[in-house]
Amino acid sequence: MSHDLLVALPIVIPLVTGVIALLFYEQRETQRIISAIGAAALLIAGIALLLEVRAEGILVSDMGGWPAPFGIPFVADLLSAVLVMMTGLIAFTVALYSLATMDPRRESFGFYPLFHILLMGIAGSFLTGDMFNLFVWFEVMLIASFVLIALGGERAQLEGAIKYVALNLISSAILLAAIGLLYGVAGTLNMADLGMKLQDVDEPWLVTTIGMLFLVSFGIKAAIFPMFFWLPASYHTPPIAVTALVAALLSKVGVYALIRAFTLIFTQETGYTHQILLVVAGLTMVTGVLGAVAQYEVRKLLSFHIISQIGYMLVGLAILSPLALAGSIFYIVHNMVTKTNLFLISGAAYRLQGTYELKQLGSLYRYHPYISALFFVSAMALAGMPPFSGFFAKLTLVRGSLEVEHYIIVAVALFTSVLTLFSMTKIWTEGYWTPSEAEENDELPPGVNSWPGWNSQMLAMFVPIIILATLSVGMGIFAQPVISLLIETAEQLLEPSLYIEAVIGDES
Amino acid sequence: MGILVAVLSGFLVALAAPWLTRWFGDRVGWVIALLPLSITIYLLTFIPDLADGGSVRYSIEWIPALNINLSFHVDGLGLVFALLISGIGTLIMLYGGGYLQGHHQLGRFYLYILMFMASMLGVVLADNIITFFVFFELTSLTSYLLIGFDHNASKSRYSARQALLVTGIGGQFLLVGLILLAIAGGGWEFSVLVDQADVIQDHALYVPIMFLILGGAFTKSAQVPFHFWLPGAMAAPTPVSAYLHSATMVKAGVYLMARINPTIGGTDLWQFVLVTFGAATMLLGAYLAVQRTDLKQLLAYTTVSSLGTLTLLIGIGTDVALKAAMVFLVVHSLYKGALFMVAGTIDHETGTRDIRVLGGLRKLMPITSIGAAVAALSMAGIPPLFGFIGKELVYEAVLDLDTFAIIIAVVAVVSNILMVVVAGITGIQPFIGEEKETPKHAHEAPASLYIGPLVLGTLSLVVGAIPALIDTSIMEPAVSAVAGQPVEVTLYIWHGVNAMLIMSIITVAVGVVVFMGRQQLRSVTNQTNLLAALGPEAIYAHLLAGLDWLSRTQTKIIQNGYLRFYFLTIIVVLVVSAIYPLMAYGNIQLAGDLSDVRIYEWVVVAIVLMSAIMAVRAQSRLAAVAALGIVGYGVATIYILYGAPDLAMTQILVETLTVILFVLVLYRLPQFATLSERGSRIRDAIIAGTGGLLMTLLVLVVSNERFYDSISQFHAEESYPSAFGRNVVNVILVDFRAIDTFGEIIVLAVAGIGVYALLRLRLWEDRSEEK
Amino acid sequence: METLMAILIGGLFASGIYLMLRRSIVKLAIGLVLLSQSANLTIFTVAGLTRGNPPLVPEGESMPLVPYADPLPQALVLTAIVIGFGVLAFTLVLVKRVYQTVGTDDMDEMRSTDGFKD
Repeated sequence: MSHDLLVALPIVIPLVTGVIALLFYEQRETQRIISAIGAAALLIAGIALLLEVRAEGILVSDMGGWPAPFGIPFVADLLSAVLVMMTGLIAFTVALYSLATMDPRRESFGFYPLFHILLMGIAGSFLTGDMFNLFVWFEVMLIASFVLIALGGERAQLEGAIKYVALNLISSAILLAAIGLLYGVAGTLNMADLGMKLQDVDEPWLVTTIGMLFLVSFGIKAAIFPMFFWLPASYHTPPIAVTALVAALLSKVGVYALIRAFTLIFTQETGYTHQILLVVAGLTMVTGVLGAVAQYEVRKLLSFHIISQIGYMLVGLAILSPLALAGSIFYIVHNMVTKTNLFLISGAAYRLQGTYELKQLGSLYRYHPYISALFFVSAMALAGMPPFSGFFAKLTLVRGSLEVEHYIIVAVALFTSVLTLFSMTKIWTEGYWTPSEAEENDELPPGVNSWPGWNSQMLAMFVPIIILATLSVGMGIFAQPVISLLIETAEQLLEPSLYIEAVIGDES
Repeated sequence: MGILVAVLSGFLVALAAPWLTRWFGDRVGWVIALLPLSITIYLLTFIPDLADGGSVRYSIEWIPALNINLSFHVDGLGLVFALLISGIGTLIMLYGGGYLQGHHQLGRFYLYILMFMASMLGVVLADNIITFFVFFELTSLTSYLLIGFDHNASKSRYSARQALLVTGIGGQFLLVGLILLAIAGGGWEFSVLVDQADVIQDHALYVPIMFLILGGAFTKSAQVPFHFWLPGAMAAPTPVSAYLHSATMVKAGVYLMARINPTIGGTDLWQFVLVTFGAATMLLGAYLAVQRTDLKQLLAYTTVSSLGTLTLLIGIGTDVALKAAMVFLVVHSLYKGALFMVAGTIDHETGTRDIRVLGGLRKLMPITSIGAAVAALSMAGIPPLFGFIGKELVYEAVLDLDTFAIIIAVVAVVSNILMVVVAGITGIQPFIGEEKETPKHAHEAPASLYIGPLVLGTLSLVVGAIPALIDTSIMEPAVSAVAGQPVEVTLYIWHGVNAMLIMSIITVAVGVVVFMGRQQLRSVTNQTNLLAALGPEAIYAHLLAGLDWLSRTQTKIIQNGYLRFYFLTIIVVLVVSAIYPLMAYGNIQLAGDLSDVRIYEWVVVAIVLMSAIMAVRAQSRLAAVAALGIVGYGVATIYILYGAPDLAMTQILVETLTVILFVLVLYRLPQFATLSERGSRIRDAIIAGTGGLLMTLLVLVVSNERFYDSISQFHAEESYPSAFGRNVVNVILVDFRAIDTFGEIIVLAVAGIGVYALLRLRLWEDRSEEK
Repeated sequence: METLMAILIGGLFASGIYLMLRRSIVKLAIGLVLLSQSANLTIFTVAGLTRGNPPLVPEGESMPLVPYADPLPQALVLTAIVIGFGVLAFTLVLVKRVYQTVGTDDMDEMRSTDGFKD
């Protein structure tokens, strides 16, 4: 398969899926099949892309045939490829899950087309090699997410959506201005070209100033401290399949943008910029987890945890050593798997007991051992307990940081880890171990004995959960292939000349 | 290879445990006990290999990128622990099956406890420090599930979480300590690091490493002030208490200290810290024990005390002390395991564990009483039980100290006196005297429940009488491993009349006397209970409350729900983050001067600015929208002025549509009210103004500095020749940068879907109508 | 010329921010429009302003006559305007729906999804 096609596939596939689904606007059944097939195809394309990039190096596809930096290229380096593959994985699992749980009315108003266009925007963001084009893909992604979050018109959704929309629009405005300023200074929009041209400028502080604008704009999208408000205000309002999808992917696009910007382009005054990133990372970790500790509603609790984990993802970027950066990317990957799974499982609990409030959930451990086991594994993975994926991500990051003597951030990271364990055990204690009110009145809690057997709906709901839980365990026990891939990814990121050369060729 | 199987087999059988329970029903304990039994027998075959300082290794690669291998090293220290784990494990599997017979979650019990056993074996046999840590944490995790086994009881849930958090925090310290140790010593295996002891002890990071590793060890082994989770863990079913919280898991910290002793031990600091904390724990544990009236609490606190003893001995660090440590390790496991099982049996049969209402059980439970009596005698240190030899060695080690020998010796004697008392209370008292009224009528327990104490009691007796059975074969390699050099170990009962013997006699004599007056003792010690209000358990509870308060306060402040607060924060962050580098750049000047600006340009800009201000200050909606429109058209004029006709056309079109949209939407919305107060308006104006100022500065600065020519030269040059279009902007949009336009169209399409869905799909209102 | 634009950009930005800090969601929307105008002008301005010479290739030439206005920022702003319009359309309908559901346009009344229940 030609490289051009391979790199473009992750964008083309969801586009085609979304468009076809749109054509069948009124026919829900057909849309469901199309969606599932499209998501599976995206996953396969992502895997294929990653394998090819690993074997052949950075792949570039110039759109329209115009050479960089004059046209818009799609660039797949290891980081982009890994993230695209993970997007495919999340797409597939959540697409399956939504078959079981999405209500028919939302399905009739374009849920599936929106789902896939969102995926397209995300894949486009990961693969584009042009700054303004990144903005465009951000907007595609955002508008699709705006509609998905508001779809249904529940009061909570609308209130959450207005905040989500407004805060992201500010971010977009700042991004636009920042891109404009960058163009004014460098005369180009191509990321590789920018990386090359801005390496040795006469006025590094000016470039850094513009970099700060990018930090703020991408930072809002990545939900870092202190700009993460939109996340806990909106993520818990739509149906759980939507929550799982956006939770896994949207903020990671912001993190990706930060990594790309601050390893390729804004490397002039790393003493200043990366110091700020380090402090922000630490604050994000702590405020996120403290926010989670205060919550008693499962979705809000998990939403705050996303913020906390974003902090871990920034530490590696701030430290810029291969092992630390690999650890952070491992966090991205592990988080996408585990966080999605936790949302999906809480959706299953909701099916059984009709609530997301911890005070009302109960007795899940007694009557639903398999769901409990799946939850426990995912929760302990998130908390960084061995032998699950989270532990090895933490280990890589901690070791990477200690080796370059960054002790304070390690202390903060481990403190946050303990608090994460604290809040995960809170869910376990309140929801799973504590008897529900019904049981205290000697009745069976709701949902017991309601297992309809392995029909297609239950399969669609549980197969994704089982897949993701297996990955949480598998990425821990078989961490070697993951870590060696990610160390390679990190080393590639820390050597921007590789990227520049692949896109522009040897013109320097 | 066999070692790997021995360790991992527990995990595999654990996964099968729920089904095994279903098939074998009441006999499942006997079946499952076969696994630890076979492991024990397998381990015994290693004894000849360890003679003369040998050891067995096995290693396979696991995660080489992080230097983590599944490497195992069976030396004397590991073997002793492993034998205790699998040997006592056999008895516990049996005991558990009897104790929890018929329990609907018996399968899960075996799942967790088998996983625990496998993890514990991994802890003591692992050579790679990260592999060790993985198993170490797994023991905490399985312990959590086991303590909370009776999950409907809130005390179980609370204690389980408390144990997990305390050992979890210790675990984080340990992780950092281990990684730093590897960095300092240049290796990731215990057996490699031992050779680097000098380098490590001279390293700048030695002190932090030591304290971090001890943080992990002290929390796991319940040293003061981290001891409080252990009595709480008694909420677990008794098989769990007998296994984890007396014989194995809590000893993991002791194991760690013993294992790491030849590498980081032996320094003055090490000795000081361990002796101090160990002695304090030894005394405090014993003191708190005698206040208790629940059998399991009595045994829990004395376990704390014994762990302190072990810490103390390792800290003293002389050959004698290490000999004492290894012997006492075995002694304690044997008698404590037995006593716990007896306590559980009593609970199971009589329905209570309160010593004030237990008595005369020897007639009703004769076999159990024998096992109890033997264990109690060992705990009291009476010959020919093994406990006697252990006690003698402890005294010998203490007297061997350079400094403070007398103080520590006194502390040791006092603690052991109290041990004698507790031995009597738990192992003798319930069985002598008259029968008392108990909730259930007691009779002898089933075999699965009395085999354990009997076997352990027999071992205490046999090994105590004939210590040569294990001294060179098992004890000697163990002590050598801890000491880091070969040490000869021979054990005797009779050493002749010396200081230790006298101390032992005093201990037992005084102990018996105090036992007689135990009720007075209890009431005296109860006076000091106000310490409990200040003790570590109270601190833990306060910390939890403080955490709760902190998290709620933070959420109320940050996530307060006011969108304008969120905006404010963002703008402030923007300004603050950009100011410093901008100042560092410093070169702020006006781009060009204002002299070549033409009149009409001034006019247009002025109109736009004034309209913007009008939009801000407008009282009526329509006025605001009209102002907005003027702003838009004014900007379009600017585009025309500066050579952007296509852009201007689009702007006009879009602006017109915008105004129309606004009017449509505003129809039916209320008029503007002045909602905010003066103060906040001024504040907002200042912030907004600062933001605007920043933007102005940035534009000025960037307009001045242009490092490179624009790439659009290519677009201008190629637009006609290659792309066949005369309107360069157009060509860029549909050819050079067509992907941008593509995305733009998608955005419009999605917006369309969204608008339609918003207008038609109103689940909230449908539901409100239904009500 | 750029200096004057810089002042205009700052003024629009400040006005937009100020409106977004108000309590009414309608003012929020208006502020957003001003903000995006400001951002668009930024892109347009910083690359350099050229009076009155649009980048069109005349008959008989192969490229526009120097000096020509920079075409790239124009294309970018055009895209941004259209995208902004799409997003704005959705936002305005959302504003209307929020008003219909919540009953007020005061943002201070819309805090139910943040924080936690006590």
